Formats: sequence, C-alpha cells, structure tokens
Amino acid sequence: MIQVDGLHKLYGEFPAVQGLSFSVAAGEVLGLVGPNGAGKTTTIRSIAGIIIPTSGRIAVAGHDLKTDPVAAKGALAFIPDEPHLFEYLTVEEHLRFVARLYRLGDVSARIPGLLAELDLSDKQHALPGELSRGMKQKLAIACGLLHDPKALLLDEPLTGLDPVGIRRMKGTIMRRAAAGTAVILSSHLLHLVEEICTRVLVMQRGQAVAFGSIAEILAERPALRSRKLEDVFLALIGQEDEAGQS
Amino acid sequence: MIGVFGYLTWRSARNRIARQIRQLRSPRYLAALLLGLAYLWFVVMGQRPATSAAATADPRVLELIGAFALFGAVAWGWIFGVERRVLAFSPAEITFLFSGPVSRQGLIQYKLLRNQLLILFNALLWTLILSRERFGVSAWLRVISIWVMLTTLSFHRLGASFVRTSLSEHGRLGARHRAVSLALLGAFLIALVWGIADALPELAAARGLAGSGFLSAVAAAFDHPLPRLLTYPFRIMVRPLVAHSMGDWLVALWPALVLMLLHYVWVVRSDTAFEEAATEVSLRRATALASGSVRASTPRSQPRRTLVRLSATGWPAGAILWKNLVAATRTRRIHNVAVSVALAGGIVALLSFDPEGSFAEVAGWLALFWAGVMVITGPQYVRNDLRSDLLKLDLLRSYPLRGWSVVLAEAAASTLMLTLLQIALLGLSYLAFLGNQTLEPGLEARTVLLLLSLIFLPPINLLGMLIQNGAALLYPAWVRVGVGRPGGVETLGQNLLMVLAFSVLLALTLLLPATLAAGSYLLLRPGLDAWALIPAGVLALLAMGFEATWMVEWLGGLFERTDPGAAGITA
Repeated sequence: MIQVDGLHKLYGEFPAVQGLSFSVAAGEVLGLVGPNGAGKTTTIRSIAGIIIPTSGRIAVAGHDLKTDPVAAKGALAFIPDEPHLFEYLTVEEHLRFVARLYRLGDVSARIPGLLAELDLSDKQHALPGELSRGMKQKLAIACGLLHDPKALLLDEPLTGLDPVGIRRMKGTIMRRAAAGTAVILSSHLLHLVEEICTRVLVMQRGQAVAFGSIAEILAERPALRSRKLEDVFLALIGQEDEAGQS
Repeated sequence: MIGVFGYLTWRSARNRIARQIRQLRSPRYLAALLLGLAYLWFVVMGQRPATSAAATADPRVLELIGAFALFGAVAWGWIFGVERRVLAFSPAEITFLFSGPVSRQGLIQYKLLRNQLLILFNALLWTLILSRERFGVSAWLRVISIWVMLTTLSFHRLGASFVRTSLSEHGRLGARHRAVSLALLGAFLIALVWGIADALPELAAARGLAGSGFLSAVAAAFDHPLPRLLTYPFRIMVRPLVAHSMGDWLVALWPALVLMLLHYVWVVRSDTAFEEAATEVSLRRATALASGSVRASTPRSQPRRTLVRLSATGWPAGAILWKNLVAATRTRRIHNVAVSVALAGGIVALLSFDPEGSFAEVAGWLALFWAGVMVITGPQYVRNDLRSDLLKLDLLRSYPLRGWSVVLAEAAASTLMLTLLQIALLGLSYLAFLGNQTLEPGLEARTVLLLLSLIFLPPINLLGMLIQNGAALLYPAWVRVGVGRPGGVETLGQNLLMVLAFSVLLALTLLLPATLAAGSYLLLRPGLDAWALIPAGVLALLAMGFEATWMVEWLGGLFERTDPGAAGITA
C-alpha cells in the first residue's frame, strides 16, 4: 500500500534521510522509531507529500506521489503531533470541510459515528479555542479518519491524550489496520510500538539500522535477546553505554 | 534587570538580523532587496525637486495638519481601542519572565524597550520617505523628531489601551465609555469651532483662494488662544519636525521630550492595568497561533450559524474558499462594517433628497474615495487567504489538491470580501447622490458605472490578492504570515513602504490590460464611437484573466515546491 524506494532528503548539505527503502502492506502497522533528528518526521512528511524528496520514489495505493499527487494524497491521511486546526471552524464544520476536500458525499452519515468514537459528540459546535489540547488532537484525528484512508500516517499520535483517549486511539489504530489500512506510526513510546506495530523501522542519522518485526530484529542479534526493549533500541542506535546503565 | 532585558533584546535583534542576512544567500531574496534599494534610491533619494509642496508650505500649516493627524490617532485609540501588539508576550517570554522574579514595571520597561527598535526603524523609513520634502533642519534631526513623535503617540495609545482594559475588567467599558469618549470629543470639537468663530468671516473669504492661501487662513484661525491651547499638546509633538533652524529645533524639542517622558511615567505606573491587558493580549495571541492554550471549555457548545452551508460535493478547493469566508463572518469587525454601511446607506439615501444635501454629498464623495483607495490598501488589510494559512502549510500540502487550486481558492476568498466591501461603498456613494439632479455624470451614467464596477473590480482585486499571496509564498521570511498584520503607529513607515511597492507591482500588472484596452478603443472608435468601449473592456477583462491564470498556475507550482522548514515557515 505504501512503497518507498531510495528516499533521499537533503537540507542544504545536511542529509536528513539517506537511501531509505521500505514498504507497508495493507493491514500492517509499521513503527518508525529513532532518536531525535534521526529523520522519522522527514520520512513521514515526505510520504504525506508535505516535503519534496531530493530523490527517490514514493507511491501510495499504487499512485506515484510525484506524478499523481492528488490521487496519492486522496488515499492517505496525515495526523501530525501538533494539531493544526482552523480557529473559526467548529468541530462539525472541520469535518464537513474535510469531506468536501476528499469528495465524500455521505458525510452526514459518517460524522456522528466518528464523533462518538472519539468522544467529541457534545463538542460538535465548539470552536478549537474552546477545546482542550487533547480534544484538539482528537479532532485532528477525526479529520484524518473521516475519508477512511488506505494509508494512515501518524506522527506521535498519543501526544496530549488522556489515558482513556490513549486506549481509544490504540483501539482505533488496530481496528483500522484490521480493516486493511496501512499504518505508519512515528513514536518515541517504545511500549506503544511493541504493543501495536507489526513491524519496526529503526532509524539513525537518516538511515535504517533495523527493519522487521521485533522478533526478526532480535533473531538477527542474538546478544540482545534477553534485553529489555529500551536496551535493544539503545543498542541499535549505537548508545551501548546508555543501554548498559539501565 | 535592565541589563538582562537589554541582553535579550540585543541578542534577539542581532540574531534576527543575522538570519535575515543569511536569507540573502537565496538569489530570490537578494534580487528583491536590490530591486527595493534601487527603487528607494531612484524614487525617493534620486529625484530631489527644486521645490516641493512641503518646502513651500507655511510651517504653521504643516504643524496644524500634523496636530490634527495626531489628534485623530489619539481619538481613535480612546474611542475604538487600538491593537496592542506591543503588549503581546511570546510563549517563551511568558514562561521565563512572568514566572521569574521580574516586577510588572520591569516587564513594561522590557516591552517598551523592544518596541523602541521597531519605532526607530520606522523613524528611519519615514525619514527616507520624506527625504524629498525639505522641511525640517536635516535628515538626522528629522529621525530624532519622528522618533520622539512616534514614541509619544505609541505611549499615549498604549496608556489609553490600559485604561480601556482596566475599565473593561471592571465591567465599565462599553456603550457608556464610548459615549463619554464621544462626548469629550464632541466638546473638544465644539470648543474648537467656538474658538475659531471670530475668524469664520475671514475663512469664508479665503475659500476662493488657492489651496495654500486657504490653508494659511485656516492656520491663522487656529492661532487664536482657545484653539491654540486645545491643539497645543499635539502641536508640540509635531513642532520639532517642522522647525527650520537648529535653534528652533532645540527650542521645539524639549517640550516634546517632556511630553514623551510624562507619557512614559504614565504608562510605567499603569502596572495593574498592564498586567490585565498583557495577559489578555498574550492569551489571545497564543490562541490565535493555536499553540495549545486552553480557553474556558464550554460544557455543551451551541450551534453556530453560517451564511452558506458547504455541500459535500463540488470543487474540492471550494472548501478552502468557504472556510475563509466563514472565518471572516465570525469576526466582530465584519459585523460592525456591515451594520455601519447599511445604516449609513439608509441615512445618506434619505439625506440625498434634502435640497441642501451637503452632508450626503460629502459622505458620497468619501465613500467613493475609499472604494478607490481600497484597490491599493485593501489587499494589504483583507488577508483571509494564504497569508493567514501559511503557518498551516503542512496541513494544506497534505490535502489532495493541486497547488493552483489552493492558491485560487485562497485568493478568491479575500477577493470576494474586498469586492463586497468596495461595492457596498460604491452603493453608498450611489445612494448619496440618488436625489442629486445636477451632478454630472447623470443618474443613468452613474448606474452604468456602478454595474461596470461589478464586472471590473473582481479581476483587479484578484490580481492584487495574487500579488500579495505571491509575496508571502516567495518571501515568507519578510512578509508577515499568520493572523493579523503589523499594525499601530510604530509600523506606519513599513506599511507605507509596502503599499508603495504593491502599488508599483499592481500598476505593472494592469499595464497590459490597460494598454490593450486603450489601443483597441482608439482603433475602433472611428467606426463604433462610444460602442468601442465594449470590445476595449472585453479585451481588458481577457488580458486580466490571462494574467490571473498565469499567476495562479505559477504560484500553484511554487506552493507545491515550497518546503515549510526550508522556507522558515514555523507556527
């Protein structure tokens, strides 16, 4: 569903992403992990069509992002860590706005269920300024899910959510994946990645240092098998000393 | 503490300038800077006329005009309030300074200090802009004079805003406050008229004189004791600017400095009101930036009305157009404008049938004038488009839309709002002259002109909006993006310069349609007479359409290529 081949992104002389290739099949949840500055956000924003790669090819649902960006973007949803909302549109109007962008004719039927799923039903006429940080995040998620995307890109999706919200969000991601959506999830929360991701891509300095399911990654590195996930992660990104201290 | 503030101000300014200079590595920015400097050199510095209007004007006239301009700015601040961007603390400033061991007076001093950089920069700009005018002693003294004047005015408006906020916090700002302000303003104006009553026969006699002769008579009338006393505080702010010798300048400067210092003391001592005002402004700004602050959450929100309901089908980018129109209708300003225009329209239409009809006539000419001025100033002020949305570029770029359709929808929203405003003013003007049987052109011709404005204003405004949006896309580091624009007396110079640059670009853009229209009219007139205007107008519309299409395509491509991080666009 998502195909990334030889992705490079340079900022001036600085290589943010170098030769990254991977694919995410329908129903799969890929976790992007890595330290700050590893290139996770650049990768996810490149797939969302926000950043133009220096070279490489990205395809979403069979549509090349460069040659057929409208069809590719129409098949995906990007939910950033910081919710960007329009301050003069209410919750419901945000959804109607997105429905028009994605040409959804049956929006009135979809809205109530989605608002209920994200616990926003009694806020449908509220402006973003009247919502808490977590509710804004939920609204951004609702906007992303409204058109039933085939590919879902989530950058730190649990930021600002309360425990109930976190549980619901995890459930939502797993339900979407079970329904056939390809999900890429960037997060520093390793337990989240372990819990819901079918495969993990560990990045360091713009490159992939490990790719596969956690079991596959550990199978390739027998020395790490008995270690905690956090230690495995630190060892993979070359922070052995930190791993030894924990 | 002053040392810390000085450090923060100096280092921030230094780093900001360094960043702006680094931008010049981009050929796009360098070319724009060189063009701007060349423009300033040739237009402002290079063409020094032997005499100019200001050089030959009576200094008393200049002083009086300046005093009335300042009076207008002060009155506006008291009656309607002013935007207190100077009070807006950034989230970082709130975190470090509000929670730190800093007194409220210290915070005020810090904000005033930071604002001084802006005022000084604008004083330099004004000196450049006014360099063709030869009043005043020298350019350097003019910088000081303008700085003192702008600083005093800025302090006064800030002080007035403190008082307004304090009244508001205590539930006393509202119709009564406005009534008191208006009553004081009315009393001031009545006292002025009463003060010059003796000079009215001379003024009536001077009506036949040339402009400067009449203005000199007005200045002489205001030299009477009472009007002189009433306008004295405003005059002393202007006087250093129009002084003709070093001695005069020094004599004029010290009262202006004393007035500035008195204002400083007033503002610095308004610490309680400041706290309330600063908190309000900063919170509002934080909300506008959607940086995560939380306003009081309502338990169950009420439905909000929209003028137009968005259908789920149709041109997808129409959603962006709709969003911007909804945003415009949900600000109080648009309601005030709509109610004011509707009320004024009704009143002037009634008054236009009055045999004297002079009030309606004045209102009609004013409305016509402002509708015209808005072709130039409107695209700067009506900015519910890419300029507001550019901080959400990530979001816009993730939508399944081509760049051209985003640009077109964004620019169309502002175009529609500006055109509606202009048409309302033109309608007002039309109504004001409705009962006037003697005015040329006659009622029929005026009706045709009003209808023609409906056809020609939208494409002209669209071109203006595309220029403004293009500037934001091309130069996001120079153009203010996000909600609001640089406002207040501190930024008058900057804004004037932007208007000048925009006027040149718009004129260049309209050159092709105007040339084609004029050429075809001259060619066809022998055969078609006045009917030649129709093909000329169609040709102008086609040319504007072609230009707009080309600009939308080009800016759309630019939109698709703009990398938010690399362009320095951050929320």
